[in-house]
Parts: sequence; structure tokens; C-alpha cells
Amino acid sequence: MTRETALWRRLIGARARGQVAYPVSFLLQLFSTSLLFFVELAVVALMFRQVDRLGGWRLAEVAFLYGLSAVAIGVALCLGSGLVAFPDQIRQGGFDQVLTRPASAFVQVLAADLRLDRLGRVLNGLIVFGYALVVLDVEWTAGRLLYLPVVVVSAAVVFGALFVLEATLCFWTTQGLEVVNAFTFGGATLSQYPLHLFDGWLRRLFLFAIPVGLVIYAPSLYLLDKHDPLGLPGWLRFTAPLVSALFAAVAGSLWRVGVRHYRSTGS
Amino acid sequence: MAPTESPPLPPIAGEEGLGGVGGLTTPVRLYLAVAQRSFRRHLAYRAATLAGLFTNAVFGVLIASVFTALYRSRATEGGGERIAGFDVAEMLVFVWVGQSLIMVLHLWGWWDVAQAVRSGDIVSDLMKPFDFYAYWLSRDLGRAACHVLVRFVPTMALGMLLTDLALPRSPLRWVAFAVSVLLGLLVAFAFRFMVNVSAFWLLDVRGVGYLAYSAVNFLSGFLIPLTFFPPWLRGIAEALPFRAMVMLPAEILLAKRPVAAALGVQLLWAVALTLLARAVLNRAIRKLTVQGG
Repeated sequence: MTRETALWRRLIGARARGQVAYPVSFLLQLFSTSLLFFVELAVVALMFRQVDRLGGWRLAEVAFLYGLSAVAIGVALCLGSGLVAFPDQIRQGGFDQVLTRPASAFVQVLAADLRLDRLGRVLNGLIVFGYALVVLDVEWTAGRLLYLPVVVVSAAVVFGALFVLEATLCFWTTQGLEVVNAFTFGGATLSQYPLHLFDGWLRRLFLFAIPVGLVIYAPSLYLLDKHDPLGLPGWLRFTAPLVSALFAAVAGSLWRVGVRHYRSTGS
Repeated sequence: MAPTESPPLPPIAGEEGLGGVGGLTTPVRLYLAVAQRSFRRHLAYRAATLAGLFTNAVFGVLIASVFTALYRSRATEGGGERIAGFDVAEMLVFVWVGQSLIMVLHLWGWWDVAQAVRSGDIVSDLMKPFDFYAYWLSRDLGRAACHVLVRFVPTMALGMLLTDLALPRSPLRWVAFAVSVLLGLLVAFAFRFMVNVSAFWLLDVRGVGYLAYSAVNFLSGFLIPLTFFPPWLRGIAEALPFRAMVMLPAEILLAKRPVAAALGVQLLWAVALTLLARAVLNRAIRKLTVQGG
């Protein structure tokens, strides 16, 4: 395991240095992706010009969800760049070479790409998150203070596992599927709002099938001390680490099944 | 909110040989043939279409839920039934029109011309005996016609199936809407074309792309009707061409505006941006240096 970690760090380090070599272009890209982010946030702010509370949540509380979700998917997108680029690797036959090398296929795929500009999303998320924490008068008990970082990591793991599942699917389809965007980016967008705004299949989908709601909304009820109109069991607020570990384990074993199933495209 | 990184469409063999019929084809027939081929080519992507519809459905329900919650919250706070000039039923129409028009207008992720610049194919394209702008516009019109059929209509149907979407019944209003969408497409195409042509000056157009599409998302009314904006921002948005893409067509469909005046604004922008895009193209051609050759 340590050998794999060391390998990953060396490969990723090389890619990171390559990108920062052109600082102007890098900064411009950070700026332009940030604009897209804040435009979407502005839409939320515009809604709050019409109401004081949206589904019982204030702007700063929605901003908390917004920041949390952005940091989580930003980390997953950046560290999982190789997974996101995996469809191209499969189609171009690059995965054949990966299998011939005496190192973990997963680590090699993960390190095959690194898009540092995606850290912009993390940065933006942190700004919004910071704003929310300053404006909200959360009573920071020891429990909340300890649970907050756990929740951030759990949410990032769930999004990361989603990207693993997305990549795994390519073993069968040999191409990227746009459908998965509905789950990954749909999940990211949905988790920016209180889950009780949504009903029926959409809520159940992102609560139990893709547990984005269990790692962002449910813990936030505890962190922000909010009333839960859905009446979910109280202990569900504390299952974020367990849920993310389980989801990652499922994604990991499916990945291994996929690797065994892999047949070269022959190109 | 939007998946911005979609893979480019693979080229179809045989498309290069258009118009080479010994000068027998008149220009109009040539562009019609181009549009027709583009239509058929896009019709072939069945899996991508189904996937796209699924994504539209998820995002449509998601955005519709947020707006519905906004109206409900407003009611509990004792506010009126209208927000920013729309009641909740009209807002649902607005949301689903936006989702349905994404691919008709191709709001994001169109890089065909930029790729031709990058690969150098642009040189042979420019030498062919057709108008470069008209050629790409024909292709885009063919593509849009296909997307009306396989994206607009089904997405609207999904909206009616999944939410309380009730569409206007007046046929005349739909005719006005169709004309409005066509004009909106001319504006959207001219804008996209200019963003693509910036590849002549910049090697990496991704940064410009993000800026451009942030502007489209926010100022066209796609994310939220422009009537939600504070007066100063609304003034800016109404002085820009982006509202011709989503806001004006939606307002025409919802009978929020005198039709002739709205279409007139769109027509003006369509003409102005087309002329501008052609001027930018001419500048670019004069500056043309082929990458790597």
C-alpha cells in the first residue's frame, strides 16, 4: 500500500508541476471557472431577494450546503481527474499498457491526469463556506467541531466513488456515458439545496441509491441545528463516514470486477 | 450546474465531398444538402439522445422543485402569488422551455470551428467554393432542426409527465414562439461562432469558453428569468443580445410581451451579431497562421 501511495505521489507531483509551469494561463482558467460558480450562486441570492427563507432555510444556511457540496465535488474532481478522463484512455487502448505495468491499475488510472484548475471549485466552495460560518451563529460544540471535517471528507469520498463507478461503467460501454452526468453533477446540484425541497423519486434516488443526501443534507441538519421536515431517523445524521465507506467499498469491488471483465478495444 | 465537458462528435465519412458536383448545384441547394446531412447525422446518435433526455429530465425536475419551493415559501411568508412577474405555472413553463432549448440553441460545448482551426482543417475548408459562415450555419440549422424533434419535444413531454407543466394552447403563440426560437438560434450561433473563432488568436479557448458560457447562462435567462434581477443589472442584461436566446422566446410563449416588438429586438440582434461574426472571421482569416505548418 505504501508503495502504491509513493507511486501515486510521484506521478501526481510531476503532473502538478507541469500545470503550474504556465501560471498566467492557469490563473485565467481559475478565474473563468470561478465566474461560472459565482453566477450559479448569484441565482440563489436572487431567489432570496423574494423570500427570507427557502423551505425554512436562510440564505446563509443554503450557502453552507453550497460550500460543502462544492468543496467535496471539487476535491473529488481534482484528485479523480484520471477517472474522469478514463473513457478516452479506454477508447484509445491506453488501458492495455496500464495492465502490462507491475503496479496497481487503479493508481495508474488515477494518476493519468490531474486538472489543478478544478481546485478553483474547492477554493470557491471554501469562500462560500467561510461566509456561511461567519454569518450563521452556530453553537460550535465539541461534537459539531469534530464532525465537520469528517462530513467534508465523507462527502468528497462519495463523489469520488461516483467517479469510480462512472469509470467502471466504461469497461462495458468502452465510451463515456452522458447519463452519469445526471447522477454526478445532478447530485452535486441537488445537494446545494435542502433535500426536503425535492420529493418523490428524486429525493429517494439521491438519499438511498446515491447517498449524496446522507453525507451532505443529513449531517447539515445536525451541524446547523435544523428541524427535519422529512422526519428521517435522528441517527442518520451521524452515518456520513459509514455511508461513504460502504459506498466506496461497493465502487471499489465493482471496479475490480470491471478490470477482470476488460477486453481491449484493439485500437 | 451543467455538464460542460462533452466529447466531440466523430466526423462522418463522405461529408467532405459536398458541392463538388461540377458546379451544378446552386448555393441554396448546396446549403440545404449540408443542413440535411447534418440533420440525419445527429439523428443517428440514439444513445446520446436518450442520455441527454434523462439528464434534462433530472435537471428539469430539480430546478422546477426549487422554484416551486420558492413559491410555497413566499406563500407562507404572506407574499403574493406572482414572483418577478410570473405565477408558479408560468415559472414551470419557463423552466422547461429553458431545459428543452439547451440543445436546440446548443447553449454550451460547441467547439467544431475551434477544432477545425486547431487541427488545420480550416485551411482546406476556406479553399472550398462555399461561404464559410453560411456552411457552418447550415450545418447548425440542420442540427437544431433535429434537436427540436429529438430533444425539445420529448423534454417538454417529460416536463408534463413529471411536473405540473401546463403549456399554452393558442396555436398562434406557438407559431410566434417558433419564429422567436429561430431568431434566437441565429443569435446563439453567431455568438458561438465568434467564441470559436477566437481560437485564431488564442491557442487554448477553454478559458474564453467558460467566460462566454457564464454570460450565456446568466444573461440569457436560462438560469433564472431576468425579471428577478435588481433594476441596474436588469438594465445591463436588457441592453445585451443574450436575452434573445431564452428570455424573449419564453416571454413570447407566455404572452408577457407584444410579439412584434420582441421579434424585432431579436431580428436586430440576429443581423448585428451575424455581421459582427463575419467581420471577426474576415479579420481572423487575414491573420491566419496555421499551427504547425
